[in-house]
Amino acid sequence: MDELITYAENTWCPGCGNFGILTAFTQAIERLEADGLARKDLAIVAGIGQHGKIFDYLKLNGFYALHGRSLATAQGMKLANPGLKIVVFVGDGDSYGEGVAHLVFAAKRNADLTVIVHNNGAYGLTTGQVTPTSRKGFRGPSTPRGSIEEPFNPLSLMLASGATFVARGYPVKLNHLTDLFVWAVQHEGFSVVDVLQPCVTFNNTYELYNNSVTELKVTPETFEDSMAAARRTDRLLIGVIRDVSAEPHHRQLLGDRRPAEDRRAGSDRMAAIRKTFG
Amino acid sequence: MSTDGRFTFIVAGEAGHGVRRAGNVAADLCSGMGRYVFQMDDYQSLIRGGHNFSVITSAPQPVLSQFLRADLVVALDKRSVGLHRDHLSTDGTLVYNSDAVSDAPEGAVGLPLSSLAKDYPRPDLRLGVASIVVLLVATGFSRDEAADFIRRQYARDVENNVKYGLSVYDAAVQILQGRYHLARGDAPATMLAGNEAIALGAYAGGLDMYFAYPMTPSSSILHFLAARSEDLGVVTVHPESEVAVMNMAVGAASVGARAAVGSSGGGFALMEEGFSLAGMSETPVLCILSSRPGPSTGVPTYTAQGDLGFALNQGHGEFPRIVASPGSIGEAYELAAELMGLAWAFQTPAILLTEKHLSESRMTVQLPSDLPEIPEPLMHEGSAAEYRRYENTESGVSPLRFPPSDALIKWTSYEHDESGITTEAADIIAMMQEKRLRKRKGLIEKLRRMRTVNRYGSSRNVVVTYGSTAMSVREAVAIGKLDVQVVQPVYLEPFPEWEFEQLSGSGVIVVEQSCEAQLAALLKHRTGVSVRNSITQYDGRPFDPEELAARLKEVLANG
Repeated sequence: MDELITYAENTWCPGCGNFGILTAFTQAIERLEADGLARKDLAIVAGIGQHGKIFDYLKLNGFYALHGRSLATAQGMKLANPGLKIVVFVGDGDSYGEGVAHLVFAAKRNADLTVIVHNNGAYGLTTGQVTPTSRKGFRGPSTPRGSIEEPFNPLSLMLASGATFVARGYPVKLNHLTDLFVWAVQHEGFSVVDVLQPCVTFNNTYELYNNSVTELKVTPETFEDSMAAARRTDRLLIGVIRDVSAEPHHRQLLGDRRPAEDRRAGSDRMAAIRKTFG
Repeated sequence: MSTDGRFTFIVAGEAGHGVRRAGNVAADLCSGMGRYVFQMDDYQSLIRGGHNFSVITSAPQPVLSQFLRADLVVALDKRSVGLHRDHLSTDGTLVYNSDAVSDAPEGAVGLPLSSLAKDYPRPDLRLGVASIVVLLVATGFSRDEAADFIRRQYARDVENNVKYGLSVYDAAVQILQGRYHLARGDAPATMLAGNEAIALGAYAGGLDMYFAYPMTPSSSILHFLAARSEDLGVVTVHPESEVAVMNMAVGAASVGARAAVGSSGGGFALMEEGFSLAGMSETPVLCILSSRPGPSTGVPTYTAQGDLGFALNQGHGEFPRIVASPGSIGEAYELAAELMGLAWAFQTPAILLTEKHLSESRMTVQLPSDLPEIPEPLMHEGSAAEYRRYENTESGVSPLRFPPSDALIKWTSYEHDESGITTEAADIIAMMQEKRLRKRKGLIEKLRRMRTVNRYGSSRNVVVTYGSTAMSVREAVAIGKLDVQVVQPVYLEPFPEWEFEQLSGSGVIVVEQSCEAQLAALLKHRTGVSVRNSITQYDGRPFDPEELAARLKEVLANG
C-alpha cells in the first residue's frame, strides 16, 4: 500500500471516514492489479472538497479537476483515450449539488467510469454547510436555524438516470467496501458507489450508521426492486443495488478508436480537406 | 451593375420560403461562372415566418463584402418589397411575387410565383426555386440550361421543381431575358462559410475532438464537423452544457487529444470557469468565440464586436491567454491552425474571436495546398521516474507526457508543486505564478517573428480595424478609391504593440462594430497611437461598403 501513497501530508481529521475510503481503495487496486490491471492504464480524477485530497495522497495519474466538474473532465479523458480505466472521486456537495447535471448525464450515457462518492452530508472544506444529502433540520453556518429542505436520495437519482451499476458502502465495513470498489471498477459502463462517510467534525454519523447499516446479500434483479432497495428507510442497505450490462458510451461513439493515440497524420488531414473541398 | 462587373442579387421572403437554400444556390451559380462571391444571410431566430434574405455579391475580381444596393431583388412576400424597394442600384430590378403584393413600386416586375406553385406539394418552399429561375433568366441562361441547373441543384422532388421552374421561366422570359451580363472570371472554385474554414483550419492544425453545445452563430462548426466526423476522423460531442463542454475538452487534452470548443457570448461565459482551469493546469484548448449582439441572449442571428474585452479578459486569475481574430474567411482557416499550434506550444488556452458576419457568411476562398507549419509540443524525453508535470523550466513550458505511462502525471486545478501536488507554500506559489507568466514572454518572442498585423496600402491615412469588419473596410476602401492604409491586428492578446510603434503619435481612424468602441480603447491603452475618429455600428448588421466609404470620406475630408 505504501508505494501507492505520495509524499503529500495527510490533513484529514483523525477518525474521518475518508481514511476508510483510502484504505479500501488501495486494497481494491492491489486486488485489481493482481487480477491483471496495469497501473499505467489507471487514472483518477477528483472534484474539490475534503474528498478531493485523495488525489494528492494517491500516487496515481490523473486530474484534480474543478468542484462539481470532475465527471465532465473524466469523460473527456475517457473519450480521448478509452484504454484508460478511470475512477472519479467526488463529494456529495460536489457531485449531488454543484455538478449534478454531469453526474446524471454520465449515468444516462453509460460513460465507462467508476464514481466513488464521499457522501458525508456536510461540506467539510468550507466548514460544515448543508449538502443535498444532509437531513432536514441540519444546522450549519448557512442554515443556522436548520435546513428546511428534504435531502434527496442519490441512489434512486442514479437509478432513474440509467446507471448500470449502483452500490452503497460504509467505510467501517472495510472489506465489504473494498469488494464494492473492485466490482465497480470491473463493471464495464457507468458505476457509482455512494459511500456513507461519517464526518467527525461536522456530521458525525458513526452511531447512526453502525445501528442502521445492513448488508444486502443479493443484488435485486429488476429495476423496481433496485429502486425499492434504494428507498428503504428502516435500514440503510449497503451492497450492490443494481448491476446490469449495456454498451458503454465510448464504444458506441468511437468503436475501437482511441483519439489521443490514433491521431491522424498531417498529410492524411490535407488529403481529407482536399477531398472535401477540391 | 457597377462598371467593374460587380453584381448583387437578393432573395427575400419568409422563413419557410427556401430563401437560405436559394441564397446558397445563387452563390454556387456565380461561383460556377468563375466569379468571386460573397454571400451574407440575414435571418431571424425563427423556423417559419418573419423576414429572411440572402445577399449574393459577385464580381470577376475579389469581393470582400455583401452590398446593400442590389441589381436584382426577388421579393417573395409583401414585407420584402417594403424592405428592399429603396435599395436598388441605378439599373436595378425588383421582381416580386404578384400573388402576395398588390401595391408594388413603379417599374417593378410582378410574377405570379405562388399561383404557379399551387398545384405542387409544399408550394411555399418552392418559392426559392422561382427566385433562382428569375436570376437565371435575367442573366441570360436559356430555357434548357435553366432546367438543367434546377435539376442539379434541387434534387429533392426534382421533376416538380423543374416543371415549376420552367413555368416561372416562361412567365419571366419576355420581360427579363438577359437583362444583366455576368462576365466570367477565373476565381478559385471553393466557397467556404467562415465556420467551415475555422473547422477545417483547426483540423489542419491537428484537431482530434470538438466539444460544443449549440449556440448561434457558432453551431455550424459543430454541425459541419459532426456531418464529416468519419471522413475527417474528428470526434464530435454535444454534451449537457457548455460547462461540460469546456471541462471535457480539458480532460481530453490532458491525455493527448487536440481539442477545441466553440460557443457565442452566453455559452462562452459558462465556459469561463473551465478556461481558468486550462490556464492553471496548463492545458491547451482552442476556444472559438463567435459573437452576436449582446449582452445576454441578445440578438442571436446578427453580428457584433462587443465581446472584445470579454475575450481579452477571459478567465479569473493571472495566466497567459492568446486571443486572435481573423479578418477574412481564408485567414480564419490559417489562424485556426496557427492558434491550435500555439496553444499546444505554450500549453495555455487560445481564443479565436470572430463574429456572425464571418462565421456564417460564405465567400470564395483559395485554401493553401500545403499543411500549415505547426510547432510540435514539447514532449518529455527523460526517464519516467524523473518526470514532473509542472517542471519549472526556463521558458515556463514543462515537457508533456501522456498516459499510459510509468511516469506519475498529475494535472491539477489547485496551485501545485512541480509534481502536481497541491501546495500552499509561499515560495512555490510565487514560483509557479512566475513560471506560468514566463510563457507569455516566450509567446511574445514567437509572435514577434510571425505576421500578427495585416497592412493593406501605404497611405499616411491609417484606418485600424479587426475581425470581420476588416472585410467591410477593405471593400469600402476599394470601391471608394480611398487614399487609406488599412491596419488590421490579427493578434489581440498578447497585443502586437511593436507593430504600432511607427504609428505612435499619429492619429488613426478606428472602425468597429462596438457601441463602446472597444478596439479604439485598446489601441489607446496599449499603443502610443491616438484615435482621431471612431466609426462604429452596433445595430446587428454588418457595414455596407458604400455607406462605410461615404463615412470614411467624410472623416478623411475633415481630417
